[in-house]
Amino acid sequence: MTRTAALSPDGQKVRKDGPSAIGAGRPGFLWAVPAAVFFGLFALVPLIMVAVLSFASWDGLSDPEFAGLDNWRKLLDDPVMIKSLWLSVLLTVLGVAVQTPLSILLGVWAAGHQRNRAVLSAIYFVPMLLSVAAVSVLWRAVLDPNMGVPAQATWLFGDGNLFGKQATAIGVLVFVSTWQFTPLHTLIYQGAARAVPQVLYQAAQIDGAGTVRQFFHITLPQLRNAIITSMILMVVGGLTTFDTVLILTQGGPGSDTTISAYYMYQKAFKSFDYGGASAIALLLVLVSTIISLIVVRLSGYDKMRSTMEGL
Amino acid sequence: MKQRARFSRTVVVGGAALALVLSLSGCGGASDAAGDDTLRVLVYGDAANKVEKEIVATFNKTSEVKAVLDTIPGADYQAKLQTIINSKQAPDVFFNWGGGSIKPFVDAGLLLPLDPFIAENPDLKAKFLPSVFNSAVVDGTSYGVPMRGTQPVLLFSNGEVLKKAGVEPPKTWDDLLAAVKALKADGVTPIALGGGDRWPTLMWFEYLYDRIAGPELFQKALDGDRDAWASPDSRKALSRIRELVDAGAFGTNYDSVKFTDQGSPTLLATGRAGFELMGSWEYSTQQDAHPEFARSDLGYSAFPSVEGGKGDQANVVGNTNNFYSVLKKTKHPRAAAEFLKLMYSDRFVKAQLAIGNLPTTTNTEGFLDTAASPEFAKFQYDMVKAAPAFQLSWDQAYPQSAATAMYQALQQFFNGSMDEDAFIEAMQALPTS
Repeated sequence: MTRTAALSPDGQKVRKDGPSAIGAGRPGFLWAVPAAVFFGLFALVPLIMVAVLSFASWDGLSDPEFAGLDNWRKLLDDPVMIKSLWLSVLLTVLGVAVQTPLSILLGVWAAGHQRNRAVLSAIYFVPMLLSVAAVSVLWRAVLDPNMGVPAQATWLFGDGNLFGKQATAIGVLVFVSTWQFTPLHTLIYQGAARAVPQVLYQAAQIDGAGTVRQFFHITLPQLRNAIITSMILMVVGGLTTFDTVLILTQGGPGSDTTISAYYMYQKAFKSFDYGGASAIALLLVLVSTIISLIVVRLSGYDKMRSTMEGL
Repeated sequence: MKQRARFSRTVVVGGAALALVLSLSGCGGASDAAGDDTLRVLVYGDAANKVEKEIVATFNKTSEVKAVLDTIPGADYQAKLQTIINSKQAPDVFFNWGGGSIKPFVDAGLLLPLDPFIAENPDLKAKFLPSVFNSAVVDGTSYGVPMRGTQPVLLFSNGEVLKKAGVEPPKTWDDLLAAVKALKADGVTPIALGGGDRWPTLMWFEYLYDRIAGPELFQKALDGDRDAWASPDSRKALSRIRELVDAGAFGTNYDSVKFTDQGSPTLLATGRAGFELMGSWEYSTQQDAHPEFARSDLGYSAFPSVEGGKGDQANVVGNTNNFYSVLKKTKHPRAAAEFLKLMYSDRFVKAQLAIGNLPTTTNTEGFLDTAASPEFAKFQYDMVKAAPAFQLSWDQAYPQSAATAMYQALQQFFNGSMDEDAFIEAMQALPTS
C-alpha cells in the first residue's frame, strides 16, 4: 500500500501515481470505507476467530486449548454431520422447487395494474412482515395434533403426528418457510415483470401469440436475472435455515431434521463443544460459497448480460 | 450546492458509522455502571416464579442493594446460563440443579465457596436436610443453598377419567398394562406424553431401569462401565418399554406433543388422557393453568413395581433439589449472603408449599398442613424420606456434552425407529466425563 489516494473536493478519488483520467468520474475509494469497516469488523474478524476456534477445544468456560485436527476428524466421522449436510441440501432444493414457480406466477400476476390486485397483494405480503420466530410458534400451535387443526381435520392429517415423522416434519418445515418467504420472492418478480418493455407484448400480440406463449417466450426469458437473484437468496437462506427448525422440530424426531446450522447450534449451546461447532460453521461457509459460485457460473450471471439487449 | 450536499453526506455516513463502532465498544462499560447497586438473580422461568418474585420483593424492602429477578423460559435456561456465566452479563446468584450441573463452573473457578457464609451463619447449612444440602458440595466445599424444593417424578392421573374407565392408580406393572387397555377401550389416550420435549420420555426409561435393574446399573454406566448398557437387565427394561409403547399406551402422536407449551398437561386436565408421568412440578403447572382440575381431580401415585425387578419399589427418580449458587466475581457478597438466608425462612417455606413445591428445610414437616394440598405435600414428603435411592435425572447426571445424543437415542428407541442393539450402542457411545 505505497500508493496514496487523495480525496478531491467533490469526493472523487485522484491517483497520484497514475493517469488521473482513470479515477475521474468514478466514486472514490473513501465511499467504500464505512461498508468495508463494517464488513471487516462483523464478518471477517468473526470468521477468522471461528477458523482459529475450529482447531481448539473449548467449553466456553475455561481457556481454549489447541486440539489440532481433532474437531475436523471427529466431524468427518460423524454420521449425524453427513446426514445434516444432506438434509440442508434437501431442504434448500425443496424450498427452491416449491417457491420459485409459485413466486414467479404470483409476481407476474401482481405486476398487473388493476386496483383489486393491489389490495390483494398488499394482504398477501403480510407474512413477510412477521418475524420467523413468531411465524414458527404460530404454526407449531396450529399444527398441534390434539389442540390444533389436525384434531379437526383427521381425514387429512390422520393422527396429526406431523413432527414425529421425518417426511412430514420436513414437509412442515418446507411449508412454513414457503409461507413466510414466497412474498419476498414475489416482490422481486413483481418488480422485474413490471420492467419488461410493453412493446414486446404489443409486437407478440400483433404476431398472434396468446397469453401462455407470451409468458413463456417473453416474460420468463426477461425474468432471467430476477430468477437468479431470487435463487441465490433461496440457496443461501436455505443452507443457513435455523430458526424454523429450532422452534418447530428441535432437529427431531431423533436427528431426522437436524440440518447443519441447527447441528452447529446443538454442538455449541447444548453440548458446549465450541470447537466442533466452529468446524461445522466453517464447513457451512465453504459449502454455501461453492454452491453460490456454481449457481452464478451456470446461470451466466457473472457476465451481467442485460435482458435489454437488442432493444 | 451539489458538491456541498455530497460532501456532507460522506461526513454523516462516516460519522454515524464511527459513532456506532464507538458505542459498541463502550457498551460493556455502560452496563457495568448500571449493575453497581443491583444483585442480579437468574432463575428457570416457569409457574414457580411467583414465589421468587415475592422473595425478591421482600428482600428489597430492607436491603440497600436491590435484587433484580431474571427468568429464562425453561428449555433454554441451561444454554443461556452457560453462555453468559463467564461474561459481563453474568448474574450474581443463579438457579441450578447442584452436583453435576455446577461442576464445570466450579472447575473453571467461577463460583464463590459458601463456607465463609456458613461459618458466620451456621443456619445456612443447619436449616436444610443434610442429604439434600450435600448434593451441592463439590470436592468438600459448599457451592449452593437449596431453593424451591425436591422434585420426585410421580405418576399423575385424572381421577374422573380413571373412574369412568373403572381404573385404579396402578400398583404393579400388570396393573398399568390393564389400565392402558381399559382406558384405550374408553376412547382416551391412556398416558399423555410430551415427546417433542424428549425429557418427559426420559422419565419412563429412568423408572423402568430403576425398577428392573436397580439404581446400580445406571451408576455403573455413569462411572464409565459401558457393558452395563448391554446387560440382560438393561435389555429387559428396554423390552418392557417396547411392550408399553406397542400397547398404544401413549397413542401415536406423542412426538408432536410438548410439555413446555402446555400440550401434555392440557391433555390430562381436559380428560383426553388418563395418566402423565411427570416431576412434582406438574402440580404447580396444573394449579396455574387449570386450577379447578388441580383442586378436584388431579391424582398422583408412585411408579408401579415391576415383578422380579431388582430395584426397591420405594426408589424415586427426579431432581433431588434446586440450588442457588453465587458467582465469585459478584460485587455484593454481603447482599448475596443475606438473600440466601431467606431460603429457609418460615415465610418462604410456606410460600413454596402453597404452590405445590416441597422445600427440604428442617422445619418443612411442621408446615405441611399449610400446603396448597396438604395430602400432596405429605405424600411427597413421606415418599422422598422413605426412598432408599433417589436417582438424579440422567440428563443432569451425565455431562452436558452427552445430552443431545442421549435424547436422540431415547426418542428413536421409543418411537421404534431404532432397535435395542442400536440404542445400547448409542448409550455406550455417550461421553461420561
